[in-house]
Amino acid sequence: MSPPASSGWENGWLVSRLLLGAAGLAAAAYGGWLLWEQRDDAVSLGLWLAGGVLLHDAVLSPLLVAGGLVLARFVPEQWRVPVVVAVVVWGSITLLAIPVLGEFGALPDNPTLLDRPYLTTWAVLTAVLAAGVVAAALVVRRRAERKPRRVGS
Amino acid sequence: MTSPGLRLRPPRQEDFSTGLRSQAVTARVGLWLGICFGIAFLTGLWSHYGQDIPGWLAWPTSPSWGYRVTQGLHITAGSAAVPLLLVKLWSVYPRLFQMVPRRPSRTVLLHVLERGSIGVLVAAALFQLVTGLMNSSQWYPWSFSFRSAHYAIGWLAIGSLVLHVGVKLPIIRRALTGPVEQEDTAHIPPEADPPPAGQDESSDAPVAGATVRSEDPSRSGWITRRGLLRTTWVAAGLAAVSTAFGGTLPGLRTVSVFGVRSGDGPQGVPINRSAAAAAVLPAAQDPGWRLTLVNGDSTTELSRADLEALPQHTASLPIACVEGWSASAEWTGVRVSDLLAMVDAPAESDVFVQSLQQRLSFGSSVLPGNVAADPDTLLALQLFGETLHIDHGFPCRIIAPNRPGVWQTKWVSRLEVLT
Repeated sequence: MSPPASSGWENGWLVSRLLLGAAGLAAAAYGGWLLWEQRDDAVSLGLWLAGGVLLHDAVLSPLLVAGGLVLARFVPEQWRVPVVVAVVVWGSITLLAIPVLGEFGALPDNPTLLDRPYLTTWAVLTAVLAAGVVAAALVVRRRAERKPRRVGS
Repeated sequence: MTSPGLRLRPPRQEDFSTGLRSQAVTARVGLWLGICFGIAFLTGLWSHYGQDIPGWLAWPTSPSWGYRVTQGLHITAGSAAVPLLLVKLWSVYPRLFQMVPRRPSRTVLLHVLERGSIGVLVAAALFQLVTGLMNSSQWYPWSFSFRSAHYAIGWLAIGSLVLHVGVKLPIIRRALTGPVEQEDTAHIPPEADPPPAGQDESSDAPVAGATVRSEDPSRSGWITRRGLLRTTWVAAGLAAVSTAFGGTLPGLRTVSVFGVRSGDGPQGVPINRSAAAAAVLPAAQDPGWRLTLVNGDSTTELSRADLEALPQHTASLPIACVEGWSASAEWTGVRVSDLLAMVDAPAESDVFVQSLQQRLSFGSSVLPGNVAADPDTLLALQLFGETLHIDHGFPCRIIAPNRPGVWQTKWVSRLEVLT
């Protein structure tokens, strides 16, 4: 954290930053120490800590970048906004629902756990969003047809 | 593969479009993400202390719904954080490909330290959300202890988050007070407000001039920044409502379509561990079962009929689990304080509670003196007026206000006064 240049930063802001930095370092160091005490499970912990970053940075993000390129190059304009909205909602809810969709934690002796029709619900959500995309795209196109195109746009 | 003059190379930060990926979006999503992590950290800390009460803390017994609400908030904040974190990381993804400065060495050091701290933050944040979600559905495909790891990495996450806010504060402030949309991309100078040395923070700046031509979000049928933000809020709200809310608020049960429990169960209350899983089935149904009360040398044994003959009290108390689900129920049984009086235990004594459960964790608990003395702390014999279901702890179980579910010991066999 370098001291601010002559760009008019008040001392208060600098002090806040230093305090935040010190508090953050202290809390993180405490977490690191707690983690060090669990070093017997280092392999498993390391796998789950690094695995999330790897999956995100090397799999999910490139997929999103590729999706963006496809959207920009091949998808007609009126579809783009509805598709982006639907993908953000559908994608995050789907990721969030993976544990219940797979029912990986289900216990044969406990019918009160994971006792909802998750797959059906997810299929309905997917269908509703898809229908929403189509409807929104049609609305956007109709609006564009009604409005005469401005010159140069 | 490569044509002359065109070589395959790793992407650079400048290769990414910047209309939507902007500090305006990052800072606004980041603000809410920070709030969610703050809530999750504090409520998580509360639960950690509730499960293992430190000496300096007198754990309160009221409000009785305290644990229920804090843990409902914990899961809600964590669920809402999933879309927020995904959008936040998407918005800064190009910075992963930022070049390391060549010199001066102080700048290089700061750069490496800052990116290292962000690496820790991202790893910790993803770990917390992923393992937390999996824990709430009781899915444990790992060998570490969930509770210890989630606690340690909670500190790591909040610490690196606070540090990150400290480092980025000038940019956060500028972005939050500035306009959401670009007023006119073409007129934004490449470096409107140069950040201090060693902090090449602006993800807009290096390419502002270059990208205007190829992408103007407002005109090419692309989503606007405001549109993206609204979409993110909707996704976060849906995430919270569809997975978490109904676990805590009975009225919203039907809305939480991806919740881990519908709220149904024996006698209308869900369970976390069945009698079969706890391997208590023969012992709990044995007519020879007796509750043993111990205070030093004084020992008393009571059958279930003896307990039923004692003064009965009814309390409406939630059973609330760390996984964020909870259910209100009406419990009837004998006050623990009445039982302690039978063996002449001093008021406010700590009480060790032993279950018939011999295997797995949570086969016993300790009632702190103030909890044991609370008039609503019962050795429950009935649930909603019916004989307690075996999966709810027949012949009798502990139920106390504002406690983690794991300490509401079932299939109780022994209460021992600790001196």
